[in-house]
Amino acid sequence: MDKSCTLLVHYDKGTPAVAKEIKEALEGNDVEAKVDAMKKAVMLLLNGETIPQLFITIIRYVLPSEDHTIQKLLLLYLELIEKTDSKGKVLPEMILICQNLRNNLQHPNEYIRGVTLRFLCRLKETEIVEPLTPSVLQNLEHRHPFVRRNAILAVMSIYKLPNGDQLFVDAPEMIEKALSTEQDPSAKRNAFLMLFTCAEERAVNYLLSNVDKVSDWNESLQMVVLELIRSVCKTKPTEKGKYIKIIISLLSATSSAVIYECAGTLVSLSSAPTAIRAAANTYCQLLLSQSDNNVKLILLDRLSELKSLHREIMVELIIDVLRALSSPNLDIRKKTLDIALDLITHHNINEVVQMLKKEVVKTQSGELEKNGEYRQMLIQAIHACAVKFPEVASTVVHLLMDFLGDSNVASALDVVAFVREIIETNPKLRVSIITRLLDTFYQIRAGKVCPCALWIIGEYCLSLSEVESGISTIKQCLGDLPFYSISEESEPTETSNKIQPTSSAMVSSRKPVILADGTYATQSAASETTFSTPTVVQGSVASGNLRTLLLTGDFFLGAVVACTLTKLVLRLEEVQPSKTEVNKTVTQALLIMVSMLQLGQSPASPHPIDNDSYERIVLCIKLLCHRNDEMKKIWLESCRQSFVKMISEKQLTEMAELKAKTQTTNAQPDDLIDFFHLKSRKGMSQLELEDQVQDDLKRATGEFTKDENDANKLNRILQLTGFSDPVYAEAYVTVHHYDIALEVTVINRTKETLQNMCLELATMGDLKLVERPQNYSLAPGTSMQIKANIKVSSTETGVIFGNIVYETSNVMERNVVVLNDIHIDIMDYISPAVCSEVAFRTMWAEFEWENKVAVNTTIQNERKFLDHIIKSTNMKCLTAPSAIEGECGFLAANLYAKSVFGEDALVNVSIEKQTDGVLSGYIRIRSKTQGIALSLGDKITLKQKGSS
Amino acid sequence: MVVLASSIVSKSGKVLVSRQYVDMSRIRIEGLLAAFPKLVGMGKQHTYIETDNVRYVYQPIEALFLLLVTTKQSNILEDLDTLRMLSKLVPEYSMSLDEEGIGRAAFELIFAFDEVISLGHKESVTVAQVKQYCEMESHEEKLHKLVMQSKINDTKDVMKRKANEIDKSKIEKTRGGDKGFSSMSSLGGRLDSSFSDMSISHGSGGGGFGSGPAFGMMSDVEPINTKAKDRSRSSVTAAPKSSGMKLGKSGKNQLMESLKAEGEDIIEDVKPTGQTRPAVAAPTDPFTLTVEEKLNVALRRDGGISSFDMQGTLSLQILNQEDGFVQVQIETGGNPEILFKTHPNINRELFNSESILGLKRPDQPFPTGQGGDGVGLLRWRMQRADESMVPLTINCWPSVSGNETYVSIEYEASSMFDLTNVIISVPLPALRDAPIVKQCDGDWRYDSRNSVVEWSILLIDNSNRSGSMEFVVPPVDSSVFFPISVQFAATTTYSGLKVNGMIPLRGGGGTTPRFVQRTQLITQNYQVV
Repeated sequence: MDKSCTLLVHYDKGTPAVAKEIKEALEGNDVEAKVDAMKKAVMLLLNGETIPQLFITIIRYVLPSEDHTIQKLLLLYLELIEKTDSKGKVLPEMILICQNLRNNLQHPNEYIRGVTLRFLCRLKETEIVEPLTPSVLQNLEHRHPFVRRNAILAVMSIYKLPNGDQLFVDAPEMIEKALSTEQDPSAKRNAFLMLFTCAEERAVNYLLSNVDKVSDWNESLQMVVLELIRSVCKTKPTEKGKYIKIIISLLSATSSAVIYECAGTLVSLSSAPTAIRAAANTYCQLLLSQSDNNVKLILLDRLSELKSLHREIMVELIIDVLRALSSPNLDIRKKTLDIALDLITHHNINEVVQMLKKEVVKTQSGELEKNGEYRQMLIQAIHACAVKFPEVASTVVHLLMDFLGDSNVASALDVVAFVREIIETNPKLRVSIITRLLDTFYQIRAGKVCPCALWIIGEYCLSLSEVESGISTIKQCLGDLPFYSISEESEPTETSNKIQPTSSAMVSSRKPVILADGTYATQSAASETTFSTPTVVQGSVASGNLRTLLLTGDFFLGAVVACTLTKLVLRLEEVQPSKTEVNKTVTQALLIMVSMLQLGQSPASPHPIDNDSYERIVLCIKLLCHRNDEMKKIWLESCRQSFVKMISEKQLTEMAELKAKTQTTNAQPDDLIDFFHLKSRKGMSQLELEDQVQDDLKRATGEFTKDENDANKLNRILQLTGFSDPVYAEAYVTVHHYDIALEVTVINRTKETLQNMCLELATMGDLKLVERPQNYSLAPGTSMQIKANIKVSSTETGVIFGNIVYETSNVMERNVVVLNDIHIDIMDYISPAVCSEVAFRTMWAEFEWENKVAVNTTIQNERKFLDHIIKSTNMKCLTAPSAIEGECGFLAANLYAKSVFGEDALVNVSIEKQTDGVLSGYIRIRSKTQGIALSLGDKITLKQKGSS
Repeated sequence: MVVLASSIVSKSGKVLVSRQYVDMSRIRIEGLLAAFPKLVGMGKQHTYIETDNVRYVYQPIEALFLLLVTTKQSNILEDLDTLRMLSKLVPEYSMSLDEEGIGRAAFELIFAFDEVISLGHKESVTVAQVKQYCEMESHEEKLHKLVMQSKINDTKDVMKRKANEIDKSKIEKTRGGDKGFSSMSSLGGRLDSSFSDMSISHGSGGGGFGSGPAFGMMSDVEPINTKAKDRSRSSVTAAPKSSGMKLGKSGKNQLMESLKAEGEDIIEDVKPTGQTRPAVAAPTDPFTLTVEEKLNVALRRDGGISSFDMQGTLSLQILNQEDGFVQVQIETGGNPEILFKTHPNINRELFNSESILGLKRPDQPFPTGQGGDGVGLLRWRMQRADESMVPLTINCWPSVSGNETYVSIEYEASSMFDLTNVIISVPLPALRDAPIVKQCDGDWRYDSRNSVVEWSILLIDNSNRSGSMEFVVPPVDSSVFFPISVQFAATTTYSGLKVNGMIPLRGGGGTTPRFVQRTQLITQNYQVV
């Protein structure tokens, strides 16, 4: 592992800090100047400028200083300097430092003693620590708790050093003695911690002999106790019983931190229902009692962990969990709902839905800003419940239908989708839903909700009365015909007034919009603008919602109205015995369609009708004029069937996902089975050896290394120079998250010793070299490994240049061997990710950088090409597989990925198969930063040919 | 709970201060902190972020983020407590809550952070406590300083006296040879070695003598043995103050303390001693007795004594007035040729009968003072002597051969004395070049300005009672080479007078006061004519 880094301080390179100035200030007697100079020296050191001559100045002039600040800064300085030479031997100067430390340890000022002891905790060199051990031990009995506290920690750190137990053979014994007499809570905690890490059995003894007092102990000590219990039980699961009692007693502790920790410990120790229940209860209580959002969220995380492991117990607590909905924070509510939805069973569904309904009602009364979103969340939750347990649908659907006219489009859409699904799956509810829908239809104001509602009316109005009322409802909503009178004078003010603001808004917002299937469409922004200018809508409520929408130019809605009318008329034909009535209705419908077409072509409309809608309306007119059975069948049955198919497919995929989820938790048949008791402590991978907590720490500090495939490693070797160069070099590049490690093997191919050989690297892009290059000398024919670390701060293709510079004995000038460039692959930084379609669209609209790559490939099949792109860019396809199924000669898909630095990468693929079988089209990449857009574009350009 | 690091970063992602509590590489912590600003979402109502490996718990402070990097298993409740604590501390130490302010208070913040979290574990402290810990005002230290000061004052006199003793013995060591060492050896071995160190560094003419670097060198020499010593001592006796290498002034107090603990008398800082040594030492002992014999001798070039005169004195120097009431017990060698004459104020009967020098009026003290050579108590003279009594005889044989003059000089020393620093100066005719020395026992030097060749023998004892020298010069008259003058010194005298002790007349303590005795025989005018 690299040298550990104990502190970072921002260093402004602009400030001139010359070594000489620092030296002068250090030699002077002015304390202030000395402090400043010391700070500068530390910062220089942090910045990689060691200035070795300063060290001796510091020893001479700073070491004897009496000032406390200087002494503390000196300790920081000592923390940072290299204490060993290149061979790992302690520098001889350190003996002087050692003396100073020793004086400090015997200093009359207790704080000086304390900070020095704390410094010792960070010291790794046994040689330096060794002579100090007696002084450290003396401090264990110091009068002041501050000193004792740190002395104990110092003893612990030293004991943990390699061979540290030789230095302090009886350390655990002494600490145990100290622990028994210690009064200061913090010192006591440290002592217990020391025993815990260095001599577990003593700690256990102490704990067991003080079982009764545990609950009175200090909070911090209790925490360590819990940590100890966890650790002991990991190694000796048989002794679990002894500790459960302690944990239970701590569950009633006063400190919430302890309670939280207790619950965690309990879960890790036992999977007995009582224990889990107790833990879950504790979490739920904390969830209610803690007001901090962070705490709540993390508690919910814990609960969801519990849920995945012990679902049956958590089911009982679902109502407690749901209480967290009272928090106004959306994230918390969302997490709560997510957990709750997984816990729903037959027994609790009624209760849950009741509660959700109450919450929905609450959103109506309160005027909180996030209410809309929250309502949407609730509706989705209820939807999910109703799908799982159809019997509850009847209780909620009517309530939800009140929200069809919700000003929040998203929640209204959710409601209408919910209604659509329920009406199909719950035939019993059909009649009541349809009547309700027809009653409330006039309230629907969103251009996106109307088509769906109309579709429901068209499909599910079956009886005569329903069909009739359906037609009349639509007519009512369309208002008086015609939409547009040629005698402009009759209502010129109305139309122009109404249309002027919206049209201007429309022109500005007109832009290419991506559809759900990934194709581009020039869509009018009318639906959005109707909501952005509510005054217009408000004014025209009386004239019917459909009319308003049509007048703003939403001709897609017109087409839907036409289709719905056609369907209703066709059905009317079946249920209405009277022919004249049917004909009457047909003419009325035809009139409506024709007036819509007229409106579309009139100058009063903000923009002319689009061809698609026009053709569709014309088709409906034709159909009504020439009715035949075949067409009737298609319109009345096939439509419904395809919807049924869609729903069943959706259910199937859900099932499949669920199945996949359960499958992954199972072990593979050929997995190795670990018998804990047979485990030897050698030869195992780190993962198996370390317990969870240790593991956690290791991962966090970046010490964690997975065993990598050696063959894989060989693939990543890059040759940097030629075989005939005097120096041969090759690099093995490892890409970690935030850094790139280069291991360069250098071989001297000459017969001379290379002196002052130096590997100089330079970078392009968002890369930064961490260390400065060092000089080496290389004997003839030998090789050596040089390591270099490079820091990466964003996803971008970076290039590392370099050369090797050396001197030989007979030629005085420097020789330079230029190395091959090392390209850092963007693919190492991005990983497939998922985001919702809505999020994708907002990001697509927001992001500033777009890179458009023309498709140029030898691949003939659209699907194959898409798969190839997905594979070579390591992205995730967001478009559902069913949407890109089939052979139609064109394909559009959205891909998404996230970088390790949290940057989003969006890709849209739109391709069409030309008549000659060649694919053409574009791949668009959008991102917030230039780097990703460019690098990803380059990557795609490079890979799209698809040679492989 | 484990806190990996507590840091302050600016909104733009610049790391201003970060303190790590567990071992982690620089690249790792920098990477974590660099990733943080990108992960902070806007409009979130919670202030923690979890990544695959770590959790960040943060708090915005104006244009900055104060954040803790913890493990994912870490106890969030405690971490939030810690964060709250730190957020209270930051404004305490930083004047302004912007990049500049934090940059200026960076180290103070690090010190404060250290008090709140130790080894990744939260310490239960309050803001006031942290401030107190960081100020480091220690009552004990003040007390300790006071005690030290008074102790220093108490022991100052003792130190001074001791230092004087060292000075004197030092002088004797340089002038009188072995004798000085005996008194030196009473001091600690460490002191001894430091002295030798000092003189080495002085001898090499270092300008920085007595200042820091010299001490540094000294401790460089020592560490191995002292280290071992220290450890054994402290583990056995558990004496809190033990000494190792001491550097500069800060080590002084403890050095003294430890010496004291070792049962040694305290010696003042060696520095001043070293500086005053080269100048003639001001007497610092209470009593100094000097026995001095001066020789005025003229030898004839062809043998025999032309004149011989030896004058001896015994002088007493007393430093302090109150020590003046003493008598001096002496012992004479019993040489019949020598006649002693006492100072008129000396009680003659007492001297003749008991060889005790005391004032005629015992109620009067001896005169005191540092000036001059002190008070002469006794004089003696010897004027007749045969050749065997002369410490050194010189034989000079110039002989002309061709156009060169060969000069052979020979000395012969009496077995009575061991002579030191013998210099035989032979006058030469005015020469352009140095004479060609054919043979020489000892060293020679040609002083061209005075046209003198100086033959020097550092020590004449039983091993070299006789020696010779031969050199060649251009032909000259042989009388040019005379008179040859000789200088030497010896520590034995003709009279053999010794001071046996001081008898105090007052304050009746049984112990005899300490005194220093210097005995020497020097040449005043010793020539071969």
